[in-house]
Amino acid sequence: MAASRVLIVEDNGKNMKLFRDVLQATGYETLEATTGRQAIELAAGHAPDLVLMDIRLPDIDGMEALSLLRADERTASIPVLALTAQAMDGDRERLLGAGFDGYISKPVNVVEFLGVVRQHCEGWRR
Amino acid sequence: MSEARAAQERAAAVAGSQPPLSRGDNPLARAIGRLPARVHTKLLVAFVGTAVLVVAVGVLGLRVLGQSNDRVARLGALQERALAYGKLKSAAFNVRLLLAETVGQDVPVRVTPPSGRTRSAFDQAVVDFLARIRPATLVDELGFDPPPEDEAVLRRIRAKSGRLSTVMGKIVESDNRGASARDQVPLRQRAELLAVDLNQLAAILANATTAKTEDLIAQNASSYASSRNLFIGVAAGAIVLALLLGFVLSWSLIGPIQRIDSRLAAIASGDFSGRVDVTNRDELGALAANANRMNDELRRLYNELEAASRHKSEFLANMSHELRTPLNAIIGFSQVLRERMFGEVNEKQAEYLDDIISSGNHLLSLINDVLDLSKVEAGQVELEVAPFSLREALERGVVMVRERATQDGVRVALAADPDIDVVEGDERRIRQVIFNLVSNAVKFTPAGGAVDVSAVQMNGEVRVAVTDTGPGIDPEDQERIFEEFQQTEAGVEQREGTGLGLALSKRLVELHGGRIWVESELGKGSKFTFALPAGSR
Repeated sequence: MAASRVLIVEDNGKNMKLFRDVLQATGYETLEATTGRQAIELAAGHAPDLVLMDIRLPDIDGMEALSLLRADERTASIPVLALTAQAMDGDRERLLGAGFDGYISKPVNVVEFLGVVRQHCEGWRR
Repeated sequence: MSEARAAQERAAAVAGSQPPLSRGDNPLARAIGRLPARVHTKLLVAFVGTAVLVVAVGVLGLRVLGQSNDRVARLGALQERALAYGKLKSAAFNVRLLLAETVGQDVPVRVTPPSGRTRSAFDQAVVDFLARIRPATLVDELGFDPPPEDEAVLRRIRAKSGRLSTVMGKIVESDNRGASARDQVPLRQRAELLAVDLNQLAAILANATTAKTEDLIAQNASSYASSRNLFIGVAAGAIVLALLLGFVLSWSLIGPIQRIDSRLAAIASGDFSGRVDVTNRDELGALAANANRMNDELRRLYNELEAASRHKSEFLANMSHELRTPLNAIIGFSQVLRERMFGEVNEKQAEYLDDIISSGNHLLSLINDVLDLSKVEAGQVELEVAPFSLREALERGVVMVRERATQDGVRVALAADPDIDVVEGDERRIRQVIFNLVSNAVKFTPAGGAVDVSAVQMNGEVRVAVTDTGPGIDPEDQERIFEEFQQTEAGVEQREGTGLGLALSKRLVELHGGRIWVESELGKGSKFTFALPAGSR
């Protein structure tokens, strides 16, 4: 069974490093995008099993990137989790309402983070 | 902000349901309003106008009364004449009757002479009546000025009566001589003819005057009726005019006042969108202009406040985001090391990593509490009020601290009244308060102690109490601990709390219309209670 491929969309270098290293150390393949447009290109070209999407991004925000992913039939069915420091009242509901398949707030608990990622990748495989 | 919006909608609904100010919109009232004069002047003009109408009605009444008096006076004079001529007529009639009796010829009325009266007595009576006729024909003796046509008739009566007197003189002389009735026949026939003429003339005079009197009475009646109608008409017209004046003037004042009033009511409920439409060029126009200026100024301030509030919200959201981003790296990398994902760490390193992680989490809860508190302070916390199970919220709160409590050797028990279940409120906020109180209690209770959570319904409120067997709180500190960053000495030593939990709990409970307080004695534990109005929210 090939390793699951996770696309990480994150504009902060240190956080990118954290997610990438943790996922790679746990046996995932990773793709890295620092902007929304880059994320869409990578998703279309490499068919990841899961997308971890930051919301505040330098070009288009995560919500817009999500709707573009969903509009493209090559990427429409990839699960996308919001991975964001937007954790004020109502942010979780707002993002889940916008169509994200899950929500992880920063700062993450690494163990829980890995649990959620695993759950979604397995769900995808099934 | 949504409260203000709701208020605006309410105001709009009120404005929409208001009846149109039809009377105030009367074009006449509007025209009066547009007159460039002060209200004082307009009122004065209206009162003076009304007074003039009253005076006009009064003057007309006096004139009608005067005319009526004139007519009564003329009627009096005519009646006096009719009376005098009536006497003349009756004297002439008597003369004719008496003469007819003595002549013995056909007469219209037969007067039976009293027995024993002689012919000469009859004749003497005729002479007496004739004596009354003469003065009654003299203008000087009449006591009034007869009209010229009457004077001519009077002169003819006087002439006839003079000639009759002469004839009667002869008859009386022959009576005295003892002449026989037969001898007197020619004289008496002449007297008879004269008496008939006299009687006719007197009757003409009297009848004409009576006819004139009747004419005048009829004329009086008709002119009285027309005067009365004129008076009623003018009086009614004056009343209608005065009412119209009052109506138009008052609506030229009331209309603008109502419009200004409804605008002010709208402003009071937060709707700054409209303007007062008042065309008056008086004090009310100035008032409306000021109301409009106030409206514009308030709208400007309101928009500024709204923008400031929006900026603050954005600022808080940004701050939350910006603080969480580096914390993610700090806590995350520490956890990665602590989980030994990239190799061993020694005991000391593991301990330091735990310290970094717990300090990071402490910082995170501080950020959360500060943001929560600033939102409450800025009035940006909107309670999502709905019925929820308080029992369930309490159970969850207890479950959340159970692990920590078990570790610390603290027993946690929940005892809620059976009738405590569904209450109205913002479930998440109430849970936040419950968790805060219960976790505080567990934190401060030493091993072997107990934390009791209870809920009762009393005096129309639901009371939740969290009792611990901790160190207790100095009475001096009992007020202070509900303020921001104020902790007891024990709290400072714990180095765990943010010093914001109770302050936030207090705000949240108060937002629900409830209250929170503490009862405690040093060395004997503490009891924190919050009360929510039952069912009111």
